[in-house]
Amino acid sequence: MKAYLQKTTSPAPLALFRMALGMMLFLSIVRFWTKGWIHELYIEPNYHFPFYGFQFVRPLGEFTYVIFIICAVAALMVALGWFYRASIITLFLSFTYIELIDKSTYLNHYYFISMICLLMIFLPAHAYFSMDAHRNRDLNSQSIPLWCIDSVKLFVCMIYIFAGLAKINTDWLLHAQPLRIWLPAKNDMPFIGFLFNYTSTAYVFSWAGCIYDLTIPFLLLNNNTRWWAFGVVVVFHLLTAMLFPIGMFPYIMIVTASIFFPVAFHEKMSARIALWLHLPKRLLQATNHYTFNQTTFKFLAIGFFIFFTVQVALPFRYLFYPGELFWTEQGYRFSWRVMLMEKSGYAQFTVTDHTGKKITVDNNEFLTPLQQKMMATQPDMILQYAHMLRDYYEKLGYRNPSVFVDSYVAVNGRLGKALVDPKTDLAKKDDSLLHKSWILPFNEKIAGF
Amino acid sequence: MNPIINKTRIFFVLIAILSGCNGDDPARDTGSKDRTPMLIHWVDNIIVPGYNNFQTKMEVMVLKGDEFTESPNQQSLTAFRQAWVDAYVEWQKVEMFEFGPADKYTLRNFFNIYPANVQAIHQNIVDPNADLDVAAAYSTQGFPALDYLINGVAETDEGIIAFYSTASESGSRIQYLKQLTSRMETLLNNVVLEWSNYRESFIGKTGLDLNSSTGIVVNAYVLYYERYIRSGKFGIPSGALTTTGGTQYPDKVEAFYKKDISLTLARTAHQAAIDFFNGEGVTTTEEGPSLKSYLDALEAKDGTTGTLLSQIINDQFAAVNNKLSQLSENLHEQVSTNNNGVKDVFAEMQKATRILKVDMTSAMSITITYTDNDGD
Repeated sequence: MKAYLQKTTSPAPLALFRMALGMMLFLSIVRFWTKGWIHELYIEPNYHFPFYGFQFVRPLGEFTYVIFIICAVAALMVALGWFYRASIITLFLSFTYIELIDKSTYLNHYYFISMICLLMIFLPAHAYFSMDAHRNRDLNSQSIPLWCIDSVKLFVCMIYIFAGLAKINTDWLLHAQPLRIWLPAKNDMPFIGFLFNYTSTAYVFSWAGCIYDLTIPFLLLNNNTRWWAFGVVVVFHLLTAMLFPIGMFPYIMIVTASIFFPVAFHEKMSARIALWLHLPKRLLQATNHYTFNQTTFKFLAIGFFIFFTVQVALPFRYLFYPGELFWTEQGYRFSWRVMLMEKSGYAQFTVTDHTGKKITVDNNEFLTPLQQKMMATQPDMILQYAHMLRDYYEKLGYRNPSVFVDSYVAVNGRLGKALVDPKTDLAKKDDSLLHKSWILPFNEKIAGF
Repeated sequence: MNPIINKTRIFFVLIAILSGCNGDDPARDTGSKDRTPMLIHWVDNIIVPGYNNFQTKMEVMVLKGDEFTESPNQQSLTAFRQAWVDAYVEWQKVEMFEFGPADKYTLRNFFNIYPANVQAIHQNIVDPNADLDVAAAYSTQGFPALDYLINGVAETDEGIIAFYSTASESGSRIQYLKQLTSRMETLLNNVVLEWSNYRESFIGKTGLDLNSSTGIVVNAYVLYYERYIRSGKFGIPSGALTTTGGTQYPDKVEAFYKKDISLTLARTAHQAAIDFFNGEGVTTTEEGPSLKSYLDALEAKDGTTGTLLSQIINDQFAAVNNKLSQLSENLHEQVSTNNNGVKDVFAEMQKATRILKVDMTSAMSITITYTDNDGD
């Protein structure tokens, strides 16, 4: 272990990864903005669904645009390696703040970006090919500790492996769900569309996807298989980009996979980029060796240990909850469970009080279409919404109102049924991370990880 | 052995095994999962003929309306009324097509927002320049306003005829009647005309994502069933949706002033929704490619019993029809005297709504309440 920690490597892969990450995030934010989503997702809604424990994160109204500008500028500065430490911290904080505003916008790849930014705060990604290294020659390094790059690789490998493990379940492997539902929807695609009319195709895609996630990290790590594996990465992610509305994610993963390339590749790329941009030669001529002093290293070692332990533990936390994970979604987020469910739901709320007032709520009055869609299938959001309704109708003169929900949820081709006990007064139930006893049983078994 | 070749070989063997041995017959006819024939059938055999039938009734209504305004008497009033009933019933068969052209002109807003706003109608009568395009004017026009104007302005037919002949304001009242009927005809003609242009792009958008034809049709269909059949015709009048101390709102039934056709209107609308689901052609009454046949092609079914989802949906429609058949023709009276029957209909429609909105759309991979956003 000690010998490993002493090992050094070229800073080029990490520096290029820094540039790619910064540029991808910058483009993602521009795309997000031009699609009008800042307004639609963060300004237009009257209510938001904060994460448990992060209720202090509030929407910022028009100021949300400022946060996005800060985030975009920070992303560009990270790409440039200009005031790197300050900009990566700013990037992490602003991006994470945005993501914490509303659960209904949660995506695993946003979580991935948050976590990779957190990791990058502590890595010397600016020690090479950066504005900082250009301005401060002492920083410009020809080597950095090997573990710095390996920790990024480790994180990426973990994501793939957890995503692969999550696919080892009976719905995915034995019933080809949800691809069996999703693929026929794409049967009008040119050339390959007809394939999606066959159930066999859904099976092939399911198994191939599972095997891909579980093996690709090793194939990328192995010198003999790397290039071949990268080809598979490109094909796989481009295919998912064509089939599913997953935005920038496929491209981010393709770019991320390049961190596995050998050092020589990154050094050649660096030289080519420098030449192309007419950058001064001495930018890439470094003499120093980047090292951490003893105390910093100790702190980092502890921090990284905690980070990776938490990352390994989070996907398993669902084991502490009774019931079927796909049904209750207790412990579902932050676990790299991607594209596993075709889940849709209907939730009609009724607010009553003991004076005989009763109203069946029109969800359109309170929530955006996206919020309604997310809320209807996720018990924790159903509870949050019930509390919003309780407070709203209390102000309208309902005396100590009760809130009931008629819910109906379908998972992976099964017929729908009630998700929440319709007789439970949700106004009286507190939110917590404990098991929600008012979720009705699933009564079916989806075996697997 | 070279590890690459090894892995590749395993991969292809796996694909071969999976495609060879999975239980389904790979040679099965997959044409029924093709959405293009369904879209063509919808336009050519259901939507456009439906509008054409409605247009015919509308022309008669406008004609009879003109005859009534020229000489208001018992005979012309009865004829106008009958033409209004016929057109109103026919409207129930096309109201669900609120997408594409009808959505562009928001036809429903101008044709059937009830209860009619009597006070605003009287204000509009004295103000010939009143803007009928604004949201506040929705409930002052269309079938509900005509309902008031030819059935509700007086207790007796003599009173109604007098309202348009001998009363001092009769001129502006006649003017308003004519304005309403000709406005409806113009709007409808615009929509029908628009369909001939829209047809091509409608058939071309074969996907299921945002703005795809199947997507917008299913969204409009489910919304119509939930909000305009279930809530509008039964949920709101019966107080099943909103109530203070158990109060009902019998005055919010459809065709409140005519009274004895509200159930016919509701049943016609519901049957039209059923026929659309099953793809029954308007002129041929033969079933064509439809939501039913598409769901069947997808093999959407109850995993435990093996019952087809389309069967479950039709069974639920039948359960609704069964409850509907127990109601009296006059829903106003029904709500006032025996509201439980109306609530029963609502309860069965609620079940149908859930199945359509969740089971059907989920099986088809259609997102309900569309929003343009990334998923994962």
